[in-house]
Amino acid sequence: MSKRDILMEVENVSVTFGSGATAVEAVKNCSLTLNEGEPIGIVGESGSGKSTLARVMAGLQPPSAGEIRFRGDNVFKGNKSFQSGNRNQVQMVFQDPYGSLNPQLTGLSAVAEAVRIHTKVGKDESEQKALELLERMGIGKLDALKRPRQLSGGQRQRVSVARALSANPTVLLADEPTSAIDQSAQAQLLKLFLGLLNDGLAIVLVSHDLGVIRYLTKRVYVMKDGVFVESGDTETVFNDPQEDYTKMLLASIPGELGKAARAKLNR
Amino acid sequence: MSKKGKKVRPEGTLGIITGAGMMGAILLAGLLIPWFGKYDANEISSDQLLSPGGTHYFGTDMLGRDVFTRVFDAVFVDIGTAFAGVLIPLTVGTIVGTLLGISRNRRVNSFIGSLIDGINAFPFLIFVIALVSFLGAGLSSIILALSLVNWARYARIARTRAVVVNQQGYVEAARTLGYKPTRILFRHIIPNVSSETRAYALSDFTIVIIAVAALSFLGLGVNPPQAEWGAMIKDGANIITLAWWTAVFPGLAICWAGISVAIFSEGLTKRIGEGSQQ
Amino acid sequence: MTSDVKLLDINNVAIGIERRKRETLVLVREANFDVNYGEMVGIVGESGSGKTMICRSIIGTLERRGASVIGGEVLFEGLDLRTINEAKWKTLRGKVIGYVPQSALAGPNPVLTIEKQLAEALSQVEGTGSMKNRSKELLDLVKIRRVDTVMKQYPYQLSGGMRQRVMIACALASKPKLLIADEPTTGLDVTVQSQIMELLREIRRDLGTAIILISHDLALVDEVCDKIVVMHAGATVEVGPTSSMATPRHPYTVALNSSRIDVAKPGGELLTIKGNPPSVGQWNPGCRFAERCDFVQQDCLVGEHPALSGSKGEHQSACLHADKIGKI
Repeated sequence: MSKRDILMEVENVSVTFGSGATAVEAVKNCSLTLNEGEPIGIVGESGSGKSTLARVMAGLQPPSAGEIRFRGDNVFKGNKSFQSGNRNQVQMVFQDPYGSLNPQLTGLSAVAEAVRIHTKVGKDESEQKALELLERMGIGKLDALKRPRQLSGGQRQRVSVARALSANPTVLLADEPTSAIDQSAQAQLLKLFLGLLNDGLAIVLVSHDLGVIRYLTKRVYVMKDGVFVESGDTETVFNDPQEDYTKMLLASIPGELGKAARAKLNR
Repeated sequence: MSKKGKKVRPEGTLGIITGAGMMGAILLAGLLIPWFGKYDANEISSDQLLSPGGTHYFGTDMLGRDVFTRVFDAVFVDIGTAFAGVLIPLTVGTIVGTLLGISRNRRVNSFIGSLIDGINAFPFLIFVIALVSFLGAGLSSIILALSLVNWARYARIARTRAVVVNQQGYVEAARTLGYKPTRILFRHIIPNVSSETRAYALSDFTIVIIAVAALSFLGLGVNPPQAEWGAMIKDGANIITLAWWTAVFPGLAICWAGISVAIFSEGLTKRIGEGSQQ
Repeated sequence: MTSDVKLLDINNVAIGIERRKRETLVLVREANFDVNYGEMVGIVGESGSGKTMICRSIIGTLERRGASVIGGEVLFEGLDLRTINEAKWKTLRGKVIGYVPQSALAGPNPVLTIEKQLAEALSQVEGTGSMKNRSKELLDLVKIRRVDTVMKQYPYQLSGGMRQRVMIACALASKPKLLIADEPTTGLDVTVQSQIMELLREIRRDLGTAIILISHDLALVDEVCDKIVVMHAGATVEVGPTSSMATPRHPYTVALNSSRIDVAKPGGELLTIKGNPPSVGQWNPGCRFAERCDFVQQDCLVGEHPALSGSKGEHQSACLHADKIGKI
């Protein structure tokens, strides 16, 4: 039982928007590590900077300070950077299912396109592969031929995941994937993620919902106003939160978990 | 989630079929009648100003030419010019506007942006008339003038839309998936921007048809003796009390062309609108 | 002391869209539940279950969408809302029946300051004191601090949670007897969500307002409501007091309950409901949940959709085999 290999490192990353008097520091000196096949969570409210951090990790936006490394190589600079082709390894699923798919493409076309780009196979083969991927995500052939506006939020999210997976990534960043969909669709999506974890994919789950974090992740970072206020094993943070902010987050979870946390708080 | 029941004819189909049918009909007539018709469009005869009837269905004009044949001889001239006058600005405007919308280069953005706003500030028809007068009469001048003026209107629409599209999840996803910038631009951004510019093009078409006719009416269009609706109306306007048919039929042709496009675009809007009401 | 007249009585309601030259598109059929004075009722269902349509029938905005109540009764204090005209609606809507829309969709009018929004809502109602003071009282009611600052702000300057509070304040201006909150916290952070739930509870306690809370989140509704109504594919499939609903008697509720994150073991088995809710207009005969049901029997696939057992006030289920389910 060896220690898992480190897959991604975020070292002293800060992200500042704007300049001068109106500069806003969305992320302040954050550091984290992600190991192979590991699920971690970044939890915080809106405005905590967690989405910005996720986007920086996905290589969509360079940090104002600090480094992001994938397997030891800087993600933004040098010849192993994402720009120079290492792109596929880290994929992202976004919060809004309504904007994450090209409205003009059917689910099949969108995924097949991704497959073609990453594996350089022909059209028919890519469509075959795409159908398989979509099937794994619970999207049958009939639904695969539908355009996004004919699909539910949960289905759109699953198509997005299928598209992300066609790049054969080692890391999947999910930014609030469950916030805009029904409870039952949430359950389906999380079950899917669990399956992906079992297949060896590393997942970074960004959410404001600790219930979801608790179900899926092994380690969690609690973020507030751009800073990590607490971090550790998910189970530990849940049962024995150190910071008041964490305690407050726990108390807000709907249902049984929240009740338990509130009971503890009032003791 | 789709809320459609059994597939009965979707809304808007009637408009689409009617509009397309009308346009198709007039185009077909424009093809067949000058070829197979009894008279040649430019054949001068001594049967001047005959009223409609007999063999001259639309009567004859001042020079004894058959109005019926002339009206349809003008179809490809008028509609063709209008078509070019929409297609070119649509293409150029969409591409330029999109590039502008996604560009981060402030200087380029403000320079071309000002150019676009500047051109748009002028009233369309007056600007076109001025340009054509400057360039010299003729169809190619008209097309050129229309393009130079109209591209900016499409560019403005495209730019605003491109800014929005650029921020959408699927474009970001395309970036994370490592798609090449050209692919992202042409397969993902432009199609979603052009949905708006194409819609505008349909309504623009009607205006351009009228503009083309208007320019010819002002004498800035085709050279005689080529038949063309605007020119025909101009000639006919002088003698409208004597021989109404020389001006009215070409006018009706313009209406037919314009209305067919309007009906088609209404039908299309209804069809797309129904689908997006989820 | 029980009052005979319920605040709201939804009786076998069917809602559909009548279309020219095509058969009517039925969106809701056999919706059944009631709301007593001062009660907090949660309506749970997936998208397309008809829960929003029902609430539109209660505030009379169905017509705007081309829909209408095509069967059953919508009784508000005994008055059948099907029969009233627009003039009568104006005396109910925004006065006796309040509405708070989904947080993501609508919100306060972006071009009006908060002060103006509240004044607009208050102008419909009589009251003592200046408009400004009454507005401040309202903001107080929804626990907004820094009232003076907020009054002068525009919606875009407020967070999602604050905007929702303003919407609730506007709805409460007329001290309605019934407040309908349609997915008021969807899309908002859980912390904000729990604050708004707490707020609704207080409003119910202090003002005696009955509240209908529409949500897709069973865990949320379970926590705050007295009664839960479960809807699937346009029908009410189960309804009962929250305490009794802890042992559900309809397979759909069982499935919803089992897919709750808060009761799942971390990394453990998470039961999901197979398939997707049937599309409107594509309902099969028999029970509309049959395709997705783990306990489906032969008799579930034919005939009419099962009716709710028992009578209002009890724990009712629209499953033909409810007694067996109840023992799971």
